[in-house]
Amino acid sequence: MVALPEERSLGSSYLEELIWVAIHGRGVWHTGPATTLARTLAMAGMMAGRESYYYMRYDDSPERVNIPMMFYVVMGDPKVGVLLPEEVEPVGNLFSAVVVMDSGLLLKETSQRASLLDGVRDNAAIVVNTGLSPGQVTALLRKYQPSRGWSGKLVTVSASKYHTNVAFGLIGALLRAWNVVSLDHVLSALEVLKIDEGAGRAVASAYGDALVTEVVLSAEGSEAAREGGARVPELRAGSWDAETYREYQRALSQARGYEDRIRVMPRWEVIAPGLIEFGPRPGEKNLGFKTDFARIEAPVVDKTKCIDCKLCSYYCPDGAIDFKSIEVDYDYCKGCGVCARVCPVKAIRMVSELERVEGLEDPELKKLSLAVREYGY
Amino acid sequence: MSGEVRLFRSVKEVPPEDYYTSGRRTCAGCGPALAYRLVLKAAGPNTVVLGPTGCMYVANAHQFLTSPYAVPWFHTQLGGGGAAGIGTAAAFRALMRKGKRRPEEVNVIVFGGDGGFADIGFAGLSMGISYDYPRLLYVLYDNESYANTGIQASSTTPWGATTTFTPSGKVKKIGNERLKKNVALAMAAHPGVRYVATATLWPPLDLPNKVRKALESGGPSFIHVLTPCPKGWFTPPDLAVELSKLAVETGLWVLWEYENGRFKLTYRPSPRKHVKHYLQLQGRFAHLTADKVEIIEERTKKEWEIWEEMDRTGKLMIPWTPPPGYTENA
Amino acid sequence: MKVLTRAGTEAIQVPKKKPITGARAIAEAVKLADVDVIAAYPIRPYTGIMNALAEMIANGEFTAEIIVADSEHSQFEIAKHASAVGARTFVGSSGVGLAYAAEAVIVTAMDQLPVVAIAGCRALDDPGNFGMEWNDVLLFRDSGWLVSWAKDPQEALDMTLVAYRVAEDRRVMLPHFIAVDGATITHIAAPVDVPPKKDVTEFLPPYRPPYPLDPAYGPVTKAQHIAPSLIGPEQRKHVDVAMKRSREVIADAWRDYANYVGRKYDPFIEAFHMDNAEVALVTMGAYTINALRAVEEVRRDGVRAGLVRLRYFRPFPSWDLRRVLSGVEGVGVLDFSYSFGSPDSGGVLFNEVRAAMYEDPKPALDFLFLGGREPKPAEFVKALKILHEYVRTGKTPGDKRVFWLTLRGEDV
Repeated sequence: MVALPEERSLGSSYLEELIWVAIHGRGVWHTGPATTLARTLAMAGMMAGRESYYYMRYDDSPERVNIPMMFYVVMGDPKVGVLLPEEVEPVGNLFSAVVVMDSGLLLKETSQRASLLDGVRDNAAIVVNTGLSPGQVTALLRKYQPSRGWSGKLVTVSASKYHTNVAFGLIGALLRAWNVVSLDHVLSALEVLKIDEGAGRAVASAYGDALVTEVVLSAEGSEAAREGGARVPELRAGSWDAETYREYQRALSQARGYEDRIRVMPRWEVIAPGLIEFGPRPGEKNLGFKTDFARIEAPVVDKTKCIDCKLCSYYCPDGAIDFKSIEVDYDYCKGCGVCARVCPVKAIRMVSELERVEGLEDPELKKLSLAVREYGY
Repeated sequence: MSGEVRLFRSVKEVPPEDYYTSGRRTCAGCGPALAYRLVLKAAGPNTVVLGPTGCMYVANAHQFLTSPYAVPWFHTQLGGGGAAGIGTAAAFRALMRKGKRRPEEVNVIVFGGDGGFADIGFAGLSMGISYDYPRLLYVLYDNESYANTGIQASSTTPWGATTTFTPSGKVKKIGNERLKKNVALAMAAHPGVRYVATATLWPPLDLPNKVRKALESGGPSFIHVLTPCPKGWFTPPDLAVELSKLAVETGLWVLWEYENGRFKLTYRPSPRKHVKHYLQLQGRFAHLTADKVEIIEERTKKEWEIWEEMDRTGKLMIPWTPPPGYTENA
Repeated sequence: MKVLTRAGTEAIQVPKKKPITGARAIAEAVKLADVDVIAAYPIRPYTGIMNALAEMIANGEFTAEIIVADSEHSQFEIAKHASAVGARTFVGSSGVGLAYAAEAVIVTAMDQLPVVAIAGCRALDDPGNFGMEWNDVLLFRDSGWLVSWAKDPQEALDMTLVAYRVAEDRRVMLPHFIAVDGATITHIAAPVDVPPKKDVTEFLPPYRPPYPLDPAYGPVTKAQHIAPSLIGPEQRKHVDVAMKRSREVIADAWRDYANYVGRKYDPFIEAFHMDNAEVALVTMGAYTINALRAVEEVRRDGVRAGLVRLRYFRPFPSWDLRRVLSGVEGVGVLDFSYSFGSPDSGGVLFNEVRAAMYEDPKPALDFLFLGGREPKPAEFVKALKILHEYVRTGKTPGDKRVFWLTLRGEDV
């Protein structure tokens, strides 16, 4: 009998042999640009002699308006040689580049309820489509994106200045801080993909203008960088009821980062047979699913103008405005703006979330448009 | 039965509790989600809800440990809405009749989309509405596409709309070639049906009041709700109510009730605005040339002659929309 | 036994059993089980069950909601949803009707709702064919439904009652098919004893689902869409565990049933002449009795043949089969199912039997009876002879392993 070989690294780190780019955007707004960006980079990777793939995170589909979503570009070294998973765990030293398509995403959890810095390698390149300065972006990362400490390169770019499709400005900026593919690779990729000449010019221009900042983030500075923040409820098989369920929901809401979140999921013995979950009591909300990460703009109610007609609370698709007090529940508000539209006295103003929580203005946030979608499913 | 209905007279009377609560992955500005919220507010806690597959299934879940339903809720298959309502209602009646459960009135609401109810589940819906279970309500939230799978045409997609299965292209320019099916009229044509209505998100109390009337009607009922969808209609997310308002003001969506065999309009646009005010806000119609918009305007105008007559006589008629390309022979 | 007398005649013993069609017998079981909700849709040959139930309800023999659905898909959806609320339900279909219901059927197992359904086995289309084949119910062999297989109307009645007891047991909570071999069972009136209600009531406790879909219980959310990274295999595992636990629950139920009703069955298999068998036939359902005739005939010629009937297809009673076949030298499967392109292009039962015997494999041959054509006992005798020859010499006609003995042109 031949002894089995020692276990190689085919566990969670097998993907680290490949080159990964994470692209964070918003559902529907960015599906088109993110697809263009991912496709262009992947083609550039092919031009550079690397087997390359791109895909939208399947679990983010169908993309929903405002809800954060991710795309991936994967390049082999030069071959890939493994099946790319649909669920890419943001852990370990995976991403060598991260593209953030709007600065509102810097304030919140990602679509995987993780930190933007989860799974990002040291010395990776982070590119943000924003008019904010690198210093301001760094401060936001430090405040809102927990990490175990990270150092790498940051490039900010006002991508809409270069082309209405922000993909091109972002690629140009990325190339300054990330040398897996060169500008020439990208330009020839654009030719092969028959993308208009304006795109090539935009990439080159953004590349020319881009400035790279070195960033160092320490673990202590991070607002919620607790290791294993959530307490997994005690294992109790055969007692699956509303109370147990809420315990797990509470643990989930306390989870920090992707691994923590998976850790608090119940084992099979804990759940009941028959696909049973429990809803909130009337008057309560869904503990397990805060939706503040969907907010690009936020409503601000001017109580001096408000006539308490209740129409905003009535018409909120997410039930995020309290009926009695007309207070916005910013844990759940998605910033759709229906309330501002229906208010008969214009007492509600939509401001960017960035402005509301940090007092910062970012002109790029006003440039979102419903571009034609490419992925579409 | 409707004499006993407690209708809301103002938005302030609508209960503040949500039975479809905050905390789900619906689009910002989702029209169907808003309709769901209002329907369940009107129905109250003594309700069981069945959710056929669709946006109002997947968008409200998609994870684990994330239920937003404060009333009992069960998934059903895309085409299973009609049967799910009947099975649930029949179980309550059987158990109560046989003394296995205390007798009381329990609402059974099936909240399904146009893909489910107008297409694959049409037969099941027809079966459901032909029975006699009181407090059984079928609500069709019409976002005019199979939205959850990424916006494909259904039989309620309007003529000229772009969807991924009916895209406007260089050669085939019109987009969707079929005319919008009127499911509510088809339901009203079922003998013995007590209450059928159409609604949208405006006027504010129209939908919850119709839900209340439906639940008190004494038999299975059907409400067809037009629910704007920012992703499918290519609009910014803040227009759900405004689009609903324009839909009825242009006459493209007709608000009516059919109660115990009597038809009446519940809103009459006067004057009726030109359809372009509604169409031009939506990217899914952006490819329509002015002549196509005029065709839609003419159709709407002609159909309204029939709606007016129905309102006058109180009797059902079928507005006949000439199929595209039809020319009358003199 | 009652005794009838009329003046001037001899006493006539009234038998315990009366001729009743399988359809009617099953309906009697449903009535005895005090089913609450029934969903009906017509398709041959199971329709008679629903006819009988409709008549009983219309005449006030018991109370249940009986809904005429618009299709089989709706039928099984109705049953599933009624079961979720807490109603005991009954439903059924045949042939392509079962295929049409497939979506509703498979989710019912994942939902772990104890719906009990009859599969009146009928050849699948195309073409239309009222003959019997097993493939309709076998479409669901992977789904998590329990499947028992009746040999005659009496057993169909008994299996229906036991099905409720097993399906609704908290250790199981899985839906349950009772397969009956088509019109042979549903349409032919055979001797059946319908047990009195009082014998059944204690045997079958009321149905109490653990999480009823009822505002009186609380806001249960059932079958929400999930993300597989968060939960997925965990939900499937429960179906696996329930199916494994059903073995014990089934055995207990049949033991108990014998005490109440006086009819004793070995829970999983019925074995004939297996004590010294050198070759054995394995089959299910109504043709067992003809297979027994064939076995007894070849025994007269000195062939030590035996016969095993499976009473359950799911859970597949591998343990009993291995035990009872351990001494034989060859196995012949009498198989009314096809599985085109499967290993050796055998039928479904053939490959299940071979898989069950994998750790103690026996030479095995498959005898396919397809297209609904009824085999005669002579064909089973022929099967035994081919099998015996195979065991003796290692040779078969044309060196085949799978035979279509009712096919015009098989030339065997």
